[in-house]
Amino acid sequence: MPRTRALSPHARMLLAILLSAGSKWSHGYELSRRAGVKSGTLYPLLIRLEGQGYLEAQWQQSTEVGRPPRHAYRLTASGVQLARANPPSQAATIAWDNGAVVI
Amino acid sequence: MRNGLRRSVINLACAAVQDLLPASMQTWGLAVRYEAAAIPDDTEALMFTLGSLCGLIPRAVASRLLKPFFSLAGEYSEGPTIMSMLDGRRPRALGIICVITAVVLGIFYMAFVGAPARYLGVNVGAFAIGLSMLALLDRTAAASQRWGDGVSIAMAIAMLATALFGSEVDGAARWVNLSGVAIQPSLILMPVMLVTFSRIRSVLATISIIAAAVAMALQPDRAMAGMLALCLATLAVIRPDRHVCLALAASIISFAATLVRPDTLPAAPYVDQILYSSFGIHAAAGLAVLGGLAMLLVPAIVGWSRDAAHRTIYCAFGTVWFAAITAAALGNYPTPIVGYGGSAIIGYVLSLWALPKLSGVREGAAELARGTMDEPSSNAHLFVALA
Repeated sequence: MPRTRALSPHARMLLAILLSAGSKWSHGYELSRRAGVKSGTLYPLLIRLEGQGYLEAQWQQSTEVGRPPRHAYRLTASGVQLARANPPSQAATIAWDNGAVVI
Repeated sequence: MRNGLRRSVINLACAAVQDLLPASMQTWGLAVRYEAAAIPDDTEALMFTLGSLCGLIPRAVASRLLKPFFSLAGEYSEGPTIMSMLDGRRPRALGIICVITAVVLGIFYMAFVGAPARYLGVNVGAFAIGLSMLALLDRTAAASQRWGDGVSIAMAIAMLATALFGSEVDGAARWVNLSGVAIQPSLILMPVMLVTFSRIRSVLATISIIAAAVAMALQPDRAMAGMLALCLATLAVIRPDRHVCLALAASIISFAATLVRPDTLPAAPYVDQILYSSFGIHAAAGLAVLGGLAMLLVPAIVGWSRDAAHRTIYCAFGTVWFAAITAAALGNYPTPIVGYGGSAIIGYVLSLWALPKLSGVREGAAELARGTMDEPSSNAHLFVALA
């Protein structure tokens, strides 16, 4: 059973970005930029969310010829519930809406 | 940095970390690598990759460290166990455990005596870099059978270049400044070079050792020249041949040259002379330093007593690090692993590469009985360079 410890601001923001993407798949670099989370924080978060069943991941063939496939992510049903129950803080949300991420 | 170089660094870093990652995390290593390939800007891709890998490395290391414990509990069907490490069947794994213990004890000592926090971080970072380099070295060596001689020559050139163009302090040119980070190449390269030489006796490897001896005389560095001479003297006693004797002669001349040249470098805080000073501060700090240094010799002692087929290699490994510890005790030379400084930590981890992956006690003994080999089958790639 997944642990229910308090989520960090970074985790909340990442969940919010994934929630806003809905059923659309997102990629690591895009998530890092949109959530304002450094890549060194992003991947451990993704690993944890995937391990706890909140995130599904799949390999997608690149649309560009000669490019390797990319790992894509989206929330599972339980991940959607988790994201809704843990919205990002107000300051972070405002910053996100303005396009400048300050957490 | 040129664009092609940035992409090369990305690929190299990803490949190194990929080897470190356990099977359950291999997908994530590839995810980072392929994601970086999709980022158009090279600098951005490099920063993204390095950041990602920094995030993955602690998990990978933790997973590796916990694996033996899970293994004992039956959750892993393969992989090293504590017992297999302690009975000498997995010398490298034992070495990694020992160096982790020594780094932790060193951090305890430095924290105890009030060393700057960044010193602690540098030692931990050096350990992570050393592990990545070890993984990379293993991967590269497996890919090319002629790699052993080539890398020996490259290491000797690096030490000569340091002597000729390196940063000079009080007449000693032992360091290279890389973007504000001073490293001591000889402390990184000499141990792995010597332990590798204990199993590879080729003309090129011997030339490399002689070139390294010349470099130590030019720098000058008594500690490393002493390490060279002591290790080669030990090899000459255990298994003499013309390669060892030639290299030993060069190393003795080199050591003598360093003795006649003045060495006026003062002791650096938290680096030199800490073996004595630590006990003066507190018994706990002294015990941490002493315990950490003792850990460095454990792989050699365990290997010597449990793996008779490869005693030459373990003896070279033990002599190298005994020499480093002795030098630190006698003069103003870096106290390996437990003192502040990343070069010795990287050097120790790299020197583990030259130990057998698996001791292969049974197969080695059987082969020796038949007189067909004197080196471990688990590192067969090193045989190509045998003269």
